[in-house]
Amino acid sequence: MKNLIATKLCTALLCCCTLLFMIPLRAQSQRESPLIKGRVTDQNGGPLPGAAVAIKGTSKGSLTQADGTFQLAVPANSTLRVSFVGYLAQEIKIGATVPPDLSVQLLPNNSDLNEVIVVGYGKQKKSDITGAITSISEKSIKDVPVTNISQALQGQGAGIDVQKNGGNNKPGTAPKILIRGTRSVNASNDPLFVVDGIPYNGNINDLNTDDVVSMEVLKDASATAIYGSRGANGVILVTTRRGRTGKPVVSYSGYGGVVKTRGSYPIMDGPTFATFKKWAKYINSPGKYTGIDDPKFLSPDDGSFTPTEIASMKAGNSYNWQDLIYKTGIMTNHQLGVTGGTEITQYAISGGYFRETGIYPGQSFERYTVKASVDQQLGKRFKVGLNSLNTYSTTRGENANPMGQALRANPLSGPYDSTGKLVGFVPGNANQVWNPLANFVPGAVEENRKRFGTFTTLYVDINLAEGLKYRFNAGAEIRSDVYGNFYASNTTNNLGGPSSSEQQNRLTTNYTLENLLTYDKSFGKHKLNFTGLYSLQQSQFQDADYKNSNIAADYLQFYAPQFAANLTGTGTYQKWDIISYMARINYGFDNRYMLTLTMRSDGSSRLAPGNKYHVFPSAAAAWNISQEPFMKDFRQISNLKLRASYGTVGNTAIDPYQTLGLLTALNYNYGSNNITGAYQTNVPNPALTWEYTSTANIGLDFGILDNRISGTVEVYKQFTHSLLLPQTLPPTSGIPNAILTNIGKTENKGLEVHISTVNIQGKNNGDFSWTTDLNFFMNRGKITQLANGVQQDIANSWFVGQPIGSIYDYKRVGIWQNTAQDSATAKGLGLNTTGSGSVIGTIRVEDLNGDKKIDAKDRMVLGSSQASWQGGITNRFAFKNFDFTVVAFARVGGLLTSRLYQSGSFINTFQGNYNNVDVHYWTPLNNENYYPKPNAGSTNTPYVSLLSYYDATYVKIRSLSLGYNLPASALKKLNASAIRFYATAEEPFILFSPYRNKYKGLDPESAGTLAVDTPPTWSMVFGINVTL
Amino acid sequence: MKKIHIVIYSCLLAVLIGTGCQKKLDEQPRGLLTPDFLSTAQGLQLAIDAAYGGTRNVWGTQDYFTMTVIGTDEFISGIDGNNDINKYNSNYTPSTGTVGNIWKTCYTFINNCNGIIDYAPNVSTMDTAVKNRMVAEAKFLRANLYFILVQFWGDVTLNEHFQSDIITSASRAPMASVYDFILKDLQDAIAVLPAGPSSAGVLPGKATKAAAMHLLAKVYLTRAGSTAKKADDYRNAYTVAMDLINNVAPANGLRLLDDFKDVYKEGNESNSEVLWTVQHTSNLAYNGPNNSSGTDNVLNHMWVPRYEEQGGMQRSTLYGRPYIRCIPTRWLLDTVFNERVNDTRYNKTFQTAWIANFAPSIPSWPSPLPAGAPLGAKPGAAKFKVGDTAIFMPGYDVTDAQIAAAPYKLMPPRSYTTALSPAMFKYFDTKRLDMNYPSIRPVIVYRLAETYLIAAEALFMDGRAGDALTYINAIRRRAAYPSGNPQAMEVQASDLSQNFILDERSRELCGELTRWLDLVRTGKLLERVRLHNNDGRSNIQAKHVLRPIPQTQIDAVTTGPEYPQNAGW
Repeated sequence: MKNLIATKLCTALLCCCTLLFMIPLRAQSQRESPLIKGRVTDQNGGPLPGAAVAIKGTSKGSLTQADGTFQLAVPANSTLRVSFVGYLAQEIKIGATVPPDLSVQLLPNNSDLNEVIVVGYGKQKKSDITGAITSISEKSIKDVPVTNISQALQGQGAGIDVQKNGGNNKPGTAPKILIRGTRSVNASNDPLFVVDGIPYNGNINDLNTDDVVSMEVLKDASATAIYGSRGANGVILVTTRRGRTGKPVVSYSGYGGVVKTRGSYPIMDGPTFATFKKWAKYINSPGKYTGIDDPKFLSPDDGSFTPTEIASMKAGNSYNWQDLIYKTGIMTNHQLGVTGGTEITQYAISGGYFRETGIYPGQSFERYTVKASVDQQLGKRFKVGLNSLNTYSTTRGENANPMGQALRANPLSGPYDSTGKLVGFVPGNANQVWNPLANFVPGAVEENRKRFGTFTTLYVDINLAEGLKYRFNAGAEIRSDVYGNFYASNTTNNLGGPSSSEQQNRLTTNYTLENLLTYDKSFGKHKLNFTGLYSLQQSQFQDADYKNSNIAADYLQFYAPQFAANLTGTGTYQKWDIISYMARINYGFDNRYMLTLTMRSDGSSRLAPGNKYHVFPSAAAAWNISQEPFMKDFRQISNLKLRASYGTVGNTAIDPYQTLGLLTALNYNYGSNNITGAYQTNVPNPALTWEYTSTANIGLDFGILDNRISGTVEVYKQFTHSLLLPQTLPPTSGIPNAILTNIGKTENKGLEVHISTVNIQGKNNGDFSWTTDLNFFMNRGKITQLANGVQQDIANSWFVGQPIGSIYDYKRVGIWQNTAQDSATAKGLGLNTTGSGSVIGTIRVEDLNGDKKIDAKDRMVLGSSQASWQGGITNRFAFKNFDFTVVAFARVGGLLTSRLYQSGSFINTFQGNYNNVDVHYWTPLNNENYYPKPNAGSTNTPYVSLLSYYDATYVKIRSLSLGYNLPASALKKLNASAIRFYATAEEPFILFSPYRNKYKGLDPESAGTLAVDTPPTWSMVFGINVTL
Repeated sequence: MKKIHIVIYSCLLAVLIGTGCQKKLDEQPRGLLTPDFLSTAQGLQLAIDAAYGGTRNVWGTQDYFTMTVIGTDEFISGIDGNNDINKYNSNYTPSTGTVGNIWKTCYTFINNCNGIIDYAPNVSTMDTAVKNRMVAEAKFLRANLYFILVQFWGDVTLNEHFQSDIITSASRAPMASVYDFILKDLQDAIAVLPAGPSSAGVLPGKATKAAAMHLLAKVYLTRAGSTAKKADDYRNAYTVAMDLINNVAPANGLRLLDDFKDVYKEGNESNSEVLWTVQHTSNLAYNGPNNSSGTDNVLNHMWVPRYEEQGGMQRSTLYGRPYIRCIPTRWLLDTVFNERVNDTRYNKTFQTAWIANFAPSIPSWPSPLPAGAPLGAKPGAAKFKVGDTAIFMPGYDVTDAQIAAAPYKLMPPRSYTTALSPAMFKYFDTKRLDMNYPSIRPVIVYRLAETYLIAAEALFMDGRAGDALTYINAIRRRAAYPSGNPQAMEVQASDLSQNFILDERSRELCGELTRWLDLVRTGKLLERVRLHNNDGRSNIQAKHVLRPIPQTQIDAVTTGPEYPQNAGW
């Protein structure tokens, strides 16, 4: 028996090898036909190795080499068919005279059913997939020059919501990714990244996008259940480049360009501010001034304005602090790689360098990467492989944020004194605003984070018997992260006080060990695949953080705390383990009916004893309708498949030791005896468990007209229970911190549509072609249960029936006007209508419950950050040697909270102490009904939060990219197989945004809340890709 | 052949499972402490230290300052800061953060004290005497926190034991039972605590019998003014206060200082008049985060006016950071401190002159010179130089001509503003590292002079005005030191009234984090705010004698009956 199997296997292998070698041999034997030399490229002109070139109606053919070239003897008046997995096949008619040099360009086909894509713990043919998976090709990843793969996902797939977190644009920041909405309130909604099969804990910036060849986003329970307790937020499988058989291919890609701010924040200029401040004073001191033209304002004894301000007002000076600090950033990327191999050994080596500097002089991100992979066949049964991704990066100025100072700095005061020296406190801001230019003095500020890490995976494949395979998969990830900052005395950080520094040292080590057993077998029309897994993952993290102040010499920065005072230290240690068992059965009948059953059991160290293991089951079925005999008559339908799945996944959202409660340290001193005490801030909660999400998903895949129009429609509903909610306990409980409890439920339902079309396909190479990828998706989430049956939890802003991220506040109805009617109404509500505390001119809110007073009971849900719908569209055009790609996306509906308008960093206080957002504010003369009056007497205008909610809708051009591929003739001279030049503008336009158009905002993209930070940017880069 | 591979595979699997993987699921915390650590001797020590540390969240913070100093007859809001609460206007609501912060900190640290008191009996590895003293200290601290709660809010939740469960309900206990609980704690503490701050082994800031007695007297006195009053409250108040003044204090080196000025002298916070302090230190790592509302002593900033905007002045560590959260009422300056010859306290409480420290902004004489300009004044020349007086507030009216002729900024009372007026300097701190830094000085919470005034008030209220004189005159005589006539300071029984005692408290204790509570205790808050406080006089209502129950409390009670709000809020 065993000999028989071995023999069969050997025969099969032999046959394969023979076949491979026979094709070129045969071609060479056909001497009588003219020999055609040609080259097959992808849409961007890159070589396509391994593409099949066949003569239609015959068994003759060839495969393209690593540089995309092929040679084939072709008889006259025949038809060549060029095909490659993942691309639309092309047929080329050869006339009587055979062209000497043929160039064929293939367009991508996103719904090629024979394409094999990566799924959890394995690979599957697209036609066999039962779950909801969005596959993103290398091409799409490279459409936009980005720092990290998260950014590359933006606008690329239905159900994948990628937004700049807080509007953060600093170099080296990663956006927020949500797959099918938010289901968790407290826990992370971040998807699980799995890189080359191993769960990835690192920072997404440690991966070089140039090394990534595909990403698969697993969305429904059928696809994610095999990741059990970590699958609830979706799983993103990242595959990096491996070597391939053929002669070495050397490639270089690089780009360089500029990063510019999208604009300046709308802040008052000098004269506007002067008028504003006069109104603030006038309103705060009724009767003191005759009006804003009262000359008393300019008298030094009045004290309203500082001498500097008065001088500026008289001279008509105005200072634009933003202009003084923004600069143009640069962005550059270089990647050099070589891949190649033989039948038994394949390798890929690459090195990359990326650098971006921000629009603020202190910010930059720089990354070096080195990657190497080897795959080696050992005899007939063994195969081993290694892949090592190594990164060193430096982020500077990740917390550098001058905006708090720059935006509220007095526009009537400049950065320099009469002798040309930098001033410290900006005159006229109550000694609260330090000159933001002070941070640019060399040596004044240093902040950097240096990360070094390796992510190395290793596998051993053993062919145990026909169809039976064992795979040992191991991954190790080690990251060292060293952070330091130093701020001299004269900086916005220390405002002239003692200098300060901080040092942070972190080490993360993870390892994963997996044992996989797979069995593949076909019996006639039956196809069976079994996957079994036993795995262990461990993660350790330690952190030591030291702070000190009053450093002896500025140049010591943070490196010599022994020369500083007031040293404080904190530390962390965390370790967690997951032990998992998983089994999956894929069964197919006649390529028509498919069934997938999955079961995973995870044991986690983070849960309390007795509660450690939980099981996650799922089931899915697919019906390939287009394979049914009765479909033969519908020739225009090339693909039709119906899928349905149901399953449960978890969100392992509990931090290590969280079930145990917590004592928090507190410092004190008895005279000169300094001591540290500890008090209880969190209570033990052994009942804590994961959040569970059950998802039902129905999907329809279709292809029409030989897949020229193809797409997917998915509908889903998710039920999340045992939601971990941080419950704010009544202060009388004596427990100050909110505690986590599994008390809530949420629901999400949604619709996703993905359509790819080949709108125009040129008959001949070089003709105009146009393809479109379109996605559209909507998600509706809501909380369905809170603790103890309550309908609302105001302290935490959770409301049954409302989405997570709801905004609960008063309902504004305008501004209290100086009319008898408004005064009477205000008085009826018990509000003051005279004196400096008068409500006239302030924001008017509705007495919702009609109890004749305005109090906390008059608040309501105003909206949430959830979008109504989102969509992305990528259009690719090609003509001759040019290609042009436009990526656009839209996010419609939802509210954003802009901290700028909420007097974040004291900018929109309406007090006149600081510069203010340039709004049309109420004065006794103008009856403005949106923005309130300035008042020097109150730190914040009442209900100022109501000024910060805006429609978050926007339509954006994500990128515009124009490329040019050198023609074959030129390539020949250069001895290259492909050279492409391109220019790309990233985020060049915001086509539509009420926040921008109506309220002078800069960019509404925020994932909910826009922080007051360095403004959003756009960039323009020029690049070249060379393949030798 | 196949067998071999199955063996290989089985071995690999066996190695992985056999190495005790399941043990990897056990947790061993290293970077943190968990609540069960409180049941050890070291845990108790950490807890008591945190209990003291928690006092910084009250005395010295802006929140507690706001709730006790401003909105009274003594102080109104300065130009800076959010002062709705102090103006009693319609924006002062249960959502006002100030009240929520104090409410929460009290309950957090009450629970911490409860932990010590509940766990201590079970810790066998600790010396009994040490343990008993620790419990007594915890009871003293707990009594302080409950006393704050009951004074501000009336009926409050009474947690008698440590809570380490998830609790989402709460109810309010009658004020009477809260007072009983406080009194019991203090009586227990007095029986165990060392006598006074100078007793052997008592570190600065630690609880003592003297401090507990002072507080006990004050609690009796306060209950006597509340609806929970008992017939013998005044008697108990003065009995305890007199025992402290006449017996415990003298036996333990506690006495009134000769000079009122020395009580608040910088660096003299552990003087013999001081009963209890909340500690701070120049070691910044142990002093607090930095001007946060959390645990810093920011009292040094609160009274500092905007002197820096005047000619010849710039911000300095000496004169402080102008937070200017409050300014004295004219009644306080003009009426309460009217007597300034024999009573030296006005000049020892308020800063009225600033010395020039910044040459570039020194003003010049106009041309022509004003009538009466000093000799040597020249048009266009600097009016003064660094080191000369730049601002002076004589405290009485002067003519406009005198103002024009003065080289410095001369400010009679009529030109006081919410930005610049006499500044109470009891808490000023010139030794901190930077001019914007919070104070490194301990906050004096209880001092013996107040014990005298408690004794006097209790005696007077109990109909023993004659006996009250002994104590009130002791304070008044001391106020004459060194230049005044002590005899002239003495008052007669016929002079005494509740109002007089309140005024005397102002002269002695103004700004010392007690006034608002004094006015509530004596039932005078509404009357005196209407009389003397320009900010709040037209807004204050009956409901304002209690603070509103914080909205955060009401919102977070999600089981059981709704948490009741105070009347009128």
